[in-house]
Amino acid sequence: MAEIPRQTVTPAPLATSLGTASRSSAVADVAGLHVAFRREGRNLQALRGVDLRIQSGEIVGLVGESGSGKTVLGLSMLGLLPKTARTEGTVMVDGVELNGADESTRRRLRRRALGAVFQDPMTSLDPTMRIGRQVQEVAGSTAEALRLLEAVGIPDAQRRLRDFPHELSGGLRQRVMLAIALAARPKLVIADEPTTALDVTVQAQVLALFRRMRDEFGCAILLVTHDLAVASTVADRICVLYGGLVAEVGQVRAVLDHPGHPYTAALMASRIGLHADRDSQLPVIAGEPVQPSSDPVGCNFAPRCPAAAVLCREQRPALAVVSKHGGLAACHFQAGEDVARTLSTIATPWVAAASGRSAGNVTVHRLSVRFPGRRGLRRSEPFDALSDIDLSVAPGEAVALVGESGSGKTTLLRAIAGLQAPTSGRVDLGGGRRPQMVFQDAGSSFTPWLTVGQQLEERVAHLPATVRRERVLEALARLGLPGEVSRVRALQLSGGQRQRAALARAVIEPPDLLLCDEPISALDASLAATVLNLLGRLRRELGFAMVFVTHDLAAARLVADRITVMTRGRIVEEGTPDTVISQPSNPYTQTLLASVPEVATCP
Amino acid sequence: MLRFLLVRTVGALGVLLALVTVVFLLQTAVPGDPVRASVGVNASDEVVARERERLGLDKPLPAQYASYLGQAVQGRFGESLRTGRDVRDDIGAFLPATIELASFSIFLAVGGGLLIGILAVVSSRFAAPARLLFVGGASVPSFLLALILIYVFYFKLSWLPLSGRTSLASAPQGPTGLLLVDSLLSARLDAFADAVRHLILPAMALALVPAVAIGRVLRSSLIEVYRADYIRTLHAKGLAPRSILWRHALRNALSAPLTMAGLQLGLLLGGVVIVEAIFAWPGIGLYLNQSIAFGDLRAIAGVTLVVGAGYVVVNSLVDLAQAAADPRIRL
Repeated sequence: MAEIPRQTVTPAPLATSLGTASRSSAVADVAGLHVAFRREGRNLQALRGVDLRIQSGEIVGLVGESGSGKTVLGLSMLGLLPKTARTEGTVMVDGVELNGADESTRRRLRRRALGAVFQDPMTSLDPTMRIGRQVQEVAGSTAEALRLLEAVGIPDAQRRLRDFPHELSGGLRQRVMLAIALAARPKLVIADEPTTALDVTVQAQVLALFRRMRDEFGCAILLVTHDLAVASTVADRICVLYGGLVAEVGQVRAVLDHPGHPYTAALMASRIGLHADRDSQLPVIAGEPVQPSSDPVGCNFAPRCPAAAVLCREQRPALAVVSKHGGLAACHFQAGEDVARTLSTIATPWVAAASGRSAGNVTVHRLSVRFPGRRGLRRSEPFDALSDIDLSVAPGEAVALVGESGSGKTTLLRAIAGLQAPTSGRVDLGGGRRPQMVFQDAGSSFTPWLTVGQQLEERVAHLPATVRRERVLEALARLGLPGEVSRVRALQLSGGQRQRAALARAVIEPPDLLLCDEPISALDASLAATVLNLLGRLRRELGFAMVFVTHDLAAARLVADRITVMTRGRIVEEGTPDTVISQPSNPYTQTLLASVPEVATCP
Repeated sequence: MLRFLLVRTVGALGVLLALVTVVFLLQTAVPGDPVRASVGVNASDEVVARERERLGLDKPLPAQYASYLGQAVQGRFGESLRTGRDVRDDIGAFLPATIELASFSIFLAVGGGLLIGILAVVSSRFAAPARLLFVGGASVPSFLLALILIYVFYFKLSWLPLSGRTSLASAPQGPTGLLLVDSLLSARLDAFADAVRHLILPAMALALVPAVAIGRVLRSSLIEVYRADYIRTLHAKGLAPRSILWRHALRNALSAPLTMAGLQLGLLLGGVVIVEAIFAWPGIGLYLNQSIAFGDLRAIAGVTLVVGAGYVVVNSLVDLAQAAADPRIRL
């Protein structure tokens, strides 16, 4: 990797506790920020009075689930909120008030002091311009663009200057985004879920790069993420948002070891980590996030909080110092550690598995899938998605297929489902019924104009109408959904309800084999944990076998009896979760394992 | 690139071969006897038979087709029944006027389309008139538009001339046959201005509908591009709206309007026939009109093939433009 020339900016000392550093060293200071959108006559509150100060040269991890307002907070610090947003409060960035500033003021500030990295590197670069020029647009000269591309670790940068974005991998594109963000020598970089769309191994590299950038370019970084572990691996401080308010903010270690807010504790407890307890369900706090259209009087989190008291429902708690650890938490009782203890003791053991079925011993025999290269004007080489795969799934067994993008895990799943014809080899379902599938995006797996009930009924169409309806209600109830859900359309449900409805559809007629394609990778931590718990319960209750495709070794370890690691269309390792996780024999598995971000690996 | 040209050339030859065949079959299928028509109603049967033999029309159909094809390859369609001259020479004489009108119209259609599309997105003042233009422009056929233009700009305002290519007796005659080029080459600015004034009305009649179609597609495609993630990246870079439009958004939005341009410019070439007749524009459209009235199938065949070739050329240029705009398209 190329040398990164030292900048003249001396890296500021890592900010100590909030409030003790002088105001002048803050590169960004948000105070009392309210942001609301008006949609269909309703007032949707994205931020309900947020205070956050970022010192120069520090990395702040902004953690929250979807709908918490974390992206809106990031955009408001970039001065990039949509015109329809109504804001109140102050957003000072590098001495400039952004709230109410005109477009050219905001533009000058962005040009001078801000950088941005967004979630999807596939769509965040102009597809019609060479990457060299895209960096140069901000950097000023080709030489400077080259230096930046080398600095962010783009191999052979001189040649890459003339590449278009589609010629680069996702990881390289995100590095280009980072080069662009750094080109203006910003004082603050806002990175919104910069690694969510990347493979785990690439994520680890990019996260390491963020730390180096801060050390060598001296810029502060606001790392917006839904993943507490991602934040904890690079951030100096963590700020947890819940329902448009700061729930907790403080030094990483203090927040992780001594959470003051019950929500922080819940986030950590439900996180799918490599060390979670396999023998019991993940502890999850029930309930749905705050509705943006509602305006609770008391604490946002009170309806879901195990420690909530009358006071919590009547009065909104202010940020207060968490006893002796320096962080701030918005909880009347600083109940975080109590809730953490409670959650760790209420482990719900798994129900006993139903007696195993005899039908459906699935075997995959020397399966290969080759995608032909394109013919005609532009020829390309054929691509071997799967080469000589042997796999067997016993009745009632859960097998996890783990791999990164391009490993062939989804192709294998599709071949088992009968959706992909093999080039050679065969799939034998052992006399079992046609497998059912659960997809990553539960929303788009429902037909938008049919009710959930109608779509569940389709699976039991052979039964008389009255029985059908009974079965639908029974399936919904099994997934903890009220009967009313059968009468609405999928789009009217929340993300969690939709994923449950998709599961209900899959098990209304219990299959012998359930195929899951990354069912939790797009979900927030608590929701992901809920779905994993549901899958674990359902397969024990109904006794079906399961093939679970994931890029996440930690999730694989929790759901599966056996883990199969794939890369480049081949199986490179196979074994029980404990063996694969604790004694991985294949170097690729070892790399994967080392890349999984863990809350405990915080520096 | 080379492969693209090769494939395109083969494709063009295919199109032209199909055209030749259709035209040939039409000639044999239409009722009436062209030979009788050419030698005169009063000619004796013997004269007609001799003429038929001279033209090779007494041979069986496949043989006629083979020899027709052989002639067509050399650009020979035989004598025009109406003018008595070689069709190739006729077309050669009329073609420059059409090339001039068509290129000018295409320039207006594409340029105007881009302008309308961009203005409709970036200017809030233009948004309402743009909507009106999009609805109106899409529903006016070119012959009606031609009549409206004549009424307004010739009868009412007397700003522009009614017909022809020039009103000057001493307009330059060569070397290209394109008046705009020739007048510049011979440094005759008066002739140049006069030629432009004559071009405006017919070109507008031809260009308005395609321009509106291109503009409308560009507008919706620009709006979509402005919602893309990379536009947010550009804002975050601190680029001015002008750079975002001209350097990034426009190029990304070009694909759909270019496809539309390919379709519309093909139709424009067909519209030339009517518009030339209305404005007495001495091009192959006018020639075709007169030939149709006379049942002069050889002339019709020649013009059809020339227009067909023009269509292939225009569409190849559109494909090249598309590939130039989007690096993900490889030729």
